[in-house]
Amino acid sequence: MKLVKILERLLSAIPVALGVALLAFFSMRLLPGDPVEIMLGDTQASQAELDALRRELGLDQPLHLQLWDFFTGLLRGDLGTSIVQRQDVVEILATTLPATIELTLATLVVAVLIAVPVGILSAVRQGSWLDRLVLSGALLGVSMPAFWFGLLLILLFAVELRWLPTSGQMDPAIDLHRITGFLLLDSLLAWNWQAFLSALKHLLLPAFTLGIVFSAVLARVIRSSMVEVLRMEYLTAARAKGVPEWQVILKHAFRNALIPAVTVTGLHLGELLGGNMIVETIFSWPGLGRLVVSSIFAKDYVVVQAAVMLYAITYVLANLLVDILYTVLNPKVEL
Amino acid sequence: MGGWKPWLVLAALLGLSLAWSKPLAFVLDTVPYRVDEAQAIVAQLKQIGVDVQVRVWQPTILREEVLKGTRAAYMTDWGSAYFDPFDLAIPKLETGGRGNFSFYSNPNVDNLFKLASTTIQEATRLTAYRSIQKQIFRDAPWVFGYVLDNLEGISANLEGYEAAADNGINLSRASLRGGDTVTVGMRTNALVSLDVAMHRDRDTEAVLRNIFDALVLRTPEGKVQPLLATSWRNETSTRFLVTLRQGVRFHNGDPFSADDVVYTFERILKEGGVNGQTSPRKGLLGPLERVEKVSDTQVRFIYSAPFPPNLILQSLVQFQIVPRRYIEQGGYANFLARPVGTGAFSFVRGRLDSEIVLERNENYFLGTPRLRRVIFRMMPEPSTRVAALLSGEVQLIQAVPPDLVSRLEGNNQVRVLRGEGTRSYQIELNTKQPPFNDIRVRQALNYAINWDAILREVYRGYAQRLSTAFLPTGFGYDPSLKPYPYDPDRARTLLRQAGFEVR
Repeated sequence: MKLVKILERLLSAIPVALGVALLAFFSMRLLPGDPVEIMLGDTQASQAELDALRRELGLDQPLHLQLWDFFTGLLRGDLGTSIVQRQDVVEILATTLPATIELTLATLVVAVLIAVPVGILSAVRQGSWLDRLVLSGALLGVSMPAFWFGLLLILLFAVELRWLPTSGQMDPAIDLHRITGFLLLDSLLAWNWQAFLSALKHLLLPAFTLGIVFSAVLARVIRSSMVEVLRMEYLTAARAKGVPEWQVILKHAFRNALIPAVTVTGLHLGELLGGNMIVETIFSWPGLGRLVVSSIFAKDYVVVQAAVMLYAITYVLANLLVDILYTVLNPKVEL
Repeated sequence: MGGWKPWLVLAALLGLSLAWSKPLAFVLDTVPYRVDEAQAIVAQLKQIGVDVQVRVWQPTILREEVLKGTRAAYMTDWGSAYFDPFDLAIPKLETGGRGNFSFYSNPNVDNLFKLASTTIQEATRLTAYRSIQKQIFRDAPWVFGYVLDNLEGISANLEGYEAAADNGINLSRASLRGGDTVTVGMRTNALVSLDVAMHRDRDTEAVLRNIFDALVLRTPEGKVQPLLATSWRNETSTRFLVTLRQGVRFHNGDPFSADDVVYTFERILKEGGVNGQTSPRKGLLGPLERVEKVSDTQVRFIYSAPFPPNLILQSLVQFQIVPRRYIEQGGYANFLARPVGTGAFSFVRGRLDSEIVLERNENYFLGTPRLRRVIFRMMPEPSTRVAALLSGEVQLIQAVPPDLVSRLEGNNQVRVLRGEGTRSYQIELNTKQPPFNDIRVRQALNYAINWDAILREVYRGYAQRLSTAFLPTGFGYDPSLKPYPYDPDRARTLLRQAGFEVR
């Protein structure tokens, strides 16, 4: 029963992705700017040259034919060839996506590791100096621009202390055979500790830049839902039964306070998987955000359409994951 | 005594309103990276009573709006790859030119442009270009601007490297004290392709030129020197004979010959010539019709119209030779995965959006490079590049923003190199619409803006003023023609003559 529901939800991603792709198709073409003009840049170019390129890229076709080509291509599983890089767009996304997923997972680990203890502690010691510190720290974290914070971390840890590298995914001198595209996983598969350490070191600063900001949000959510749950009478009952205080807080209270936190994390997961252009740019991280933004400016319709479909699917999956987690946390909830 | 004559009153009112001049007011369109400059211009023009509003646009959108002909004054920039007005002044100021956003049209200038791009007499070209500069200076279709310096940062240990005006990064003669690997922080987000025929991007070219060689090489100062070609001459005004270097081999061991040269140009000239795709570089070849093999060591370039030898050479700089046999037999996918050229460094591995690793070509025909390895890393954020240079992670960085230069100058481990840029920055004026269809108003603006102060404050002095649309590094530049001086009084006089109120 549950599996059927999950399958249903998965299938529902398809019309969502198609609808979003259709929106992307039209909005990219409505925006001013011609990809061929942009590609040729300044300098001399004859009209014949412009026409030849437009013809080859199918941009000389009327809009409805372009749309037809796009959808028939989709049915054949062909998402098209990038206008700028002239490469299969699926290949491009496949090399970019692992970098973004790796950074997203690391970000969530950092955020959870910080937010959970901080959120619980400040709820338990409500009104204490610790609580006030956490609240103002959270405010600071939320309002801190990632651009500024990321550069600050680079200057401190890479330039002054020289503990960590400024940017990139791995020391380029290391030759690691890429199997999955996830560098941490690939270096473990190759049993290459040097590569693993290098990848981990490179991951720390960008993951902290994104993770600190999100942990500020998450800690506040956990604190407020914990404060609410801690007033519940069933906790008094548990205490009366002689359950130790730490068990009351972690087992009885925290688990029930988790639902809002899971919701927020799920939404944020969808957002992170889209790639953060600013952080990826600062840390020279070859992820999806940079690719999509530069493709929008180059008017590379093909890449933007495919990426937007990927975003839609990611959001549906992230939401599904959240809903499944609800049922785990609270068996009364149904999918 | 006549009666009440309302039309007389109306006529008097009309005359009065004509005599009652208004101040000049217009919207100045700019792009995000030139907002500071635009604000400075607003303040300066206000002093003489000109009212300017700034509007910021995304560059590609501004371009479309400008082409509709409805905008008045817009801050634009245009790069040149030829070191010749051929791809700067001509497309920007020829009637109907691809980049002619000011809609400037002067039959005299058009004829001279035509002459300069079709005669093979260098002296005639020079005279034509000199004359053009005087005319466009007077016609002032733009508020003539400036060219920014090309600033690069290098480790103090890096020797034998110079910043080049065309953003080339030639490391074949460089060496590093205390090391043999140089990592370069590139300004770009991603290279476009590993195939020299499939991009129109300077940064991609800068990297690929280390793997591939062209027939000729441009020195950092812009002079053309032999590379895979040893000599050349015009047989007629449309036939150009090139003699090739002998004994050169590609990285895979294949010998380099005339077949490779013919193949390289054929795949660009032919629609769909690169594995079914069309090269975006055809326009850089000028009126080239075909290339034919004369012997194993000689090729002939045949043009459909006379093309000046200087332009031929400047265009050949931009075309690196690819191995015919390797591509035809090994397949295109293999070539993209493992590109092979004759260059100083050979490809090891890499990804377009993160890094490209090269190692030295032990058999390079100009001598084995001193560096063992060269790594190009894509680092789009300037502050990160500067940080990476300071931390010693990279030894060379492109495009240091003027406001970060001071951070490098205080450190004795690094040096800042300054090369001349090839991109002209200016304010183009719509010469087909009031108020800028009046030459006096256009000239007045040229006198009214204090560029020296702007370049000093906004770009810390890392820029050179331009007297017209010609670059000092380019062919035909007239050094005796000085830029418009800052002269607010003269601007006021001209504006008054044009019927505007001034302060």
